[in-house]
Amino acid sequence: MDVLRQLLIIAIFPGGIFMLLIGLVYAWINGKLIARLQNRVGPRWFQPFADMLKLITKEEIVPEGTNKLLFELLPIVALAGPMTAALYVPMAGLRPSSSFQGDLIVTIYLLSLMTLCTGFAGANTRDRFSTIGATRALTQLFSYEAPFLLALLGPAIVAGTWQISEIITTNQGLWLVVTQPISFVIAIIGLMGKLEMHPFDAPEAKTEIVAGALTEYSGRGLALFKVGHYVELVIGLTLVAALFLGGLANPLMFLLKTLGLLLGISFLEALMTRLRIDQTVGLWWRYGSVLALLQLVILVIWSTLVS
Amino acid sequence: MAEISSDNGRKFTIPIGPQHPALKEPGHFEFVVDGEVIQEASVKLGYAHRGIEKIVEDRNYTQAMYILERVCGICSHVHASALAMGAEQLAGVEAPPRARAIRTLVYELERIHSHLLWLGVAAHEAGFEALFMYSWRDRETIMDILEEISGSRVHYSVNAIGGVRIDISAESAQNILKAVDFLEERSKHYLNVVSSDRVFLQRSRGIGVMSPEEGNRWGVVGPVARASGIKRDVRVDAPYAAYDIFPVTMITASEGDLEARFTVRVRELLESTRLVREVVKNLPEGELTTKVKRKIPPAETVVRIEAPRGELMYYMKSNGTDQPERIHGRTPTIPNMASVLHLTIGHQLADAPMILAGIDPCFSCNDRAVVLKSQSHSDLWSWDQLRQYGIDRYHGRT
Repeated sequence: MDVLRQLLIIAIFPGGIFMLLIGLVYAWINGKLIARLQNRVGPRWFQPFADMLKLITKEEIVPEGTNKLLFELLPIVALAGPMTAALYVPMAGLRPSSSFQGDLIVTIYLLSLMTLCTGFAGANTRDRFSTIGATRALTQLFSYEAPFLLALLGPAIVAGTWQISEIITTNQGLWLVVTQPISFVIAIIGLMGKLEMHPFDAPEAKTEIVAGALTEYSGRGLALFKVGHYVELVIGLTLVAALFLGGLANPLMFLLKTLGLLLGISFLEALMTRLRIDQTVGLWWRYGSVLALLQLVILVIWSTLVS
Repeated sequence: MAEISSDNGRKFTIPIGPQHPALKEPGHFEFVVDGEVIQEASVKLGYAHRGIEKIVEDRNYTQAMYILERVCGICSHVHASALAMGAEQLAGVEAPPRARAIRTLVYELERIHSHLLWLGVAAHEAGFEALFMYSWRDRETIMDILEEISGSRVHYSVNAIGGVRIDISAESAQNILKAVDFLEERSKHYLNVVSSDRVFLQRSRGIGVMSPEEGNRWGVVGPVARASGIKRDVRVDAPYAAYDIFPVTMITASEGDLEARFTVRVRELLESTRLVREVVKNLPEGELTTKVKRKIPPAETVVRIEAPRGELMYYMKSNGTDQPERIHGRTPTIPNMASVLHLTIGHQLADAPMILAGIDPCFSCNDRAVVLKSQSHSDLWSWDQLRQYGIDRYHGRT
């Protein structure tokens, strides 16, 4: 019975099919919102599904001079990372299906796997656009990762634990966005950086380097990378909503809060001009990290004073 | 090139083109980068050469006008009217005042749609998709107006040899006035966006700075020159059509960076809306065409027109028949292209597409064959020789 339950968790909910479907739906909502903000009609509801179906049925071309094993393995790992992370976050407002002390750090690591895989995939192919894209992706990874981690530590410090389920139970009903606004903003913007969303899409800037690290990917590999991005979007939103917006008590709250965040992200995406990679790095190290540290110091002093 | 393949391996060449998402037309740029910084730049043009100058030698003037209109898909009116004005000069006649005013009106309408198109493309290069979508939406207003007055959105074919083919009805005049009112309001908004959006200014202020001296040395024309403080505008310097009756205020800026190129073009939008309004309200009455003899006596002439991208020059020679002896055009992209290669050096790779878009390049317009050293004894090539040259070049390519 236990094996069956484990299988269900991995294959249907919260991992597996559920994540794929909700990822595609959120991708559609994101695309539609941006389109409406830009005064376009936008895609129909099944467009992401159709895109993925098309990509999966297409021939996958492995370019010469690449390591074939890595070329095919990296997209799978890139999708597996966020899929695994789904087990540790309160997906759909339910309790995380798996939990242990320190799973917050593991989740953040699993979310970084996507960027790492993108970087390696770019470095693996000999294409010049891919190489530049990979360099940029990894540069960007090093700039937002530390502030993002520091931002998510805030709620953990308040709860006094590194376990996501414990943090949520302890902070149930606490809207930490009010007390830790800086962390919240950095977490949201860090999530956009992680997902290479619009102002931070220098690694895949199409007017400069075509499609960045994924230029040589077609067919299944590209589909896996894309789905991985969508899944990571949902998990990132869930994590931020759970930690900062007073927890996710039930599926309705989950939908309201994550979609609210998605709306905010879409606004930012539609408003911004793409930042150059040096501007992105400058933004994160000059302001992001400093502010995140500041917030953390305030938190630590405050919690010491209170106790 | 030895440096590129040196052992440190840090420098390599990024090709932009012939097919690349940053280019809307084929052209080939090679940027040698060290990390993200551009060290060298080179360009290869000619991917969209169509032999138009040769084609028009086998057509009569009216046919040639329709062919030349197809030189550019954005500023089609300037090319067609250049031929019409050239033919009129060669024949020694002048188009009636109403025709000249209508030509001027269409020049300015075309400038509005070209600058709005450019604004969208340049914003797209910077990754500012919202501005791209909004400016192209507003551009539809002007496309609808052009369709209403001429029947076509792109190749309006307004000209005839000796005048214009269309008239502006009272109803159209009202619609034009309504459209420019709307566009003026939008242009003011865009001026505000390109000069105050801080994220956007990070990508445009101080990027690709060109001093007036450099601009003069490279011979830049049009809004690119005016953004560097060079007072150069054919509409002011040598008024043609009805620009002597409806004078233009020259828009210049002194900064010479990308921001200045944005603000100059958007302020030209405002100036064009003013001019359109003035022309529509004071349209002279009278005939639309003058009679021009089919056969034009031998003569030579040069026509200069301020196209949306800068000075457009046509050299025309007639030979007493109804077909031109020789027509040669120089489009504004050619003189401006040199500035791109110089300005990108030292900038980030991410700035290169924006600097390129800053001159509003039109590759198909500027691609024409130039024989620097004659390979045969004659400087004049026949169709067969040209064709054979093309075939040999194709087979001999590496």
